[in-house]
Amino acid sequence: MNKIYIIEDDKSIRTELAELLKNAGYETECLTDFSDSKRHILESESDLILLDINIPVVNGETLLKEIRRETDTPVIMITSRTSETDEVLSMSYGADDYITKPYNPTILLLRISAVLKRSYKENIKTSYRNLQINTAKGSLSDGNDELILTKNEMIIFQLLLDHQGQIVSRDELMTTLWDNEEYINDNALTVNISRLRSKLADFGCENAIETRKKQGYILI
Amino acid sequence: MNFRKFLADKIVSVIISLCAWLIIWDFLSAFHIRSGQIAIIGIIYFMADILKILLEYFRRKTFYTDLISNTENLDKKYLLSAMTESPNFYEGQVFYDILCETNKSMCDNIAEYRRHSTEFKEYIELWVHEVKLPVASLLLMCHNNPETSEKYSEQLRRIDDCIENVMYYVRSENAEKDYLIKEVSLKRVFNAYAVKNREELQQRNVIIKAENLDITVMTDSKWLEYIIGQVIGNSMKYFSPDREPEINIYAVETDDTITLHMRDNGIGIPLSDLPYIFEKSYTGENGRTHAKSTGMGLYIIKKLCESLGHDVKACSVQNEFTDISITFGKNNFMKIE
Repeated sequence: MNKIYIIEDDKSIRTELAELLKNAGYETECLTDFSDSKRHILESESDLILLDINIPVVNGETLLKEIRRETDTPVIMITSRTSETDEVLSMSYGADDYITKPYNPTILLLRISAVLKRSYKENIKTSYRNLQINTAKGSLSDGNDELILTKNEMIIFQLLLDHQGQIVSRDELMTTLWDNEEYINDNALTVNISRLRSKLADFGCENAIETRKKQGYILI
Repeated sequence: MNFRKFLADKIVSVIISLCAWLIIWDFLSAFHIRSGQIAIIGIIYFMADILKILLEYFRRKTFYTDLISNTENLDKKYLLSAMTESPNFYEGQVFYDILCETNKSMCDNIAEYRRHSTEFKEYIELWVHEVKLPVASLLLMCHNNPETSEKYSEQLRRIDDCIENVMYYVRSENAEKDYLIKEVSLKRVFNAYAVKNREELQQRNVIIKAENLDITVMTDSKWLEYIIGQVIGNSMKYFSPDREPEINIYAVETDDTITLHMRDNGIGIPLSDLPYIFEKSYTGENGRTHAKSTGMGLYIIKKLCESLGHDVKACSVQNEFTDISITFGKNNFMKIE
């Protein structure tokens, strides 16, 4: 379980954010004493840091610069300032991503998992049952035959695989697809999923994807 | 400066001179001075008078001609006192000093308003950041409690849109450069917009065709994202009920420009309204008969584009389509290698 460290001075946002991350299966820790932020952060040994720019005592950008001298822990900047200058500055100080408030929670979770995936490569699964996944080629293979998936099917399959055994909501699937520049609608998602299902079934993986009514899909 | 008018202005002193001469003439005749001598005195008297008027005229002429031509040539007329030299005659100097004085007072006045306006802008920006916190907090609460329906998040997003409008309006009205121009991928900017507004686009079943966007332009990505959001937001207000809503977004590249087209298949803009749509508070026929409009959206877009140095155009056929295009210059000097 990945641990996420939250640095946010607005108490209401902080508690809601912690709850959101807990529901998404992360362990969280919040900074409450801003007088010695740097030490607290370093001592927490988190896998990812969510850092607000407008925090008491020391500005988030300065804090980021100081953290970067000591550790490579991925940092996502979260701010209500919509300005290119702040973003460029944060990125140049070594932030891994930059998100502006108010953020869509699904997008935030997506960004967090993307940054974690990029930073800790071991999280990436490359096989499912007896199938090897070739992301670059967009195909699955069982050693003899190859199953070609379309781009959309591959994105869906990859997301379900990353959360194997957990429910993935349609909202998450949609956001991920759109994030990958596939601007499809609701019907198209349903069609894509049933096509992916039948392709997997043809390849010997019967009932791989289950539908959970009103919740989403789950890869068994 | 016209000599005849100047002379007309001097008519009183000329008449006084003539009256004085008549008295002198009368006086001299009474002393039986010969008419030849009187004539000589007369010539000297009038020569002095003419010389005096001419001298006065030319001294003024140099100053006023200078003043007039400066006023005509100056782009910013209030710089007049700085551009004109102090004249060498007394009343001119008085006039010149007063000019400088009023000018200075005007400058002080303007400086004060400018300060007010900057302070106001700073306050609005601060307020925007402040008000975004409770909105962010509420959005998270909605997500954490799925039983509170999607309706709440939708309204929160509407609030957020309104807040953004205020911020960009303030930014567009202020000359300060709070943008940063760098290489920006059109694909990434559009993607950022689309992902954030996916729910709204999907609720309306909009077909989005994004083509040929894998291209970079020199702009501020945050401002461009806002501009795209405004244009597509407009499209969504004015879709035609007769056909499936569709938005085509694509870029066209020429030798020295890149143009981003955002084309919808909505109700279009009447030809008579088309020239005015970028004007402040202009709502036009669509704004009256269809969705309510503030007439600010396109005005802000135009101002932002002007600041960034982009060209924005609208092309439309009523009941068929509206195409808003933004043209970016290709300037290789600006590329950071």
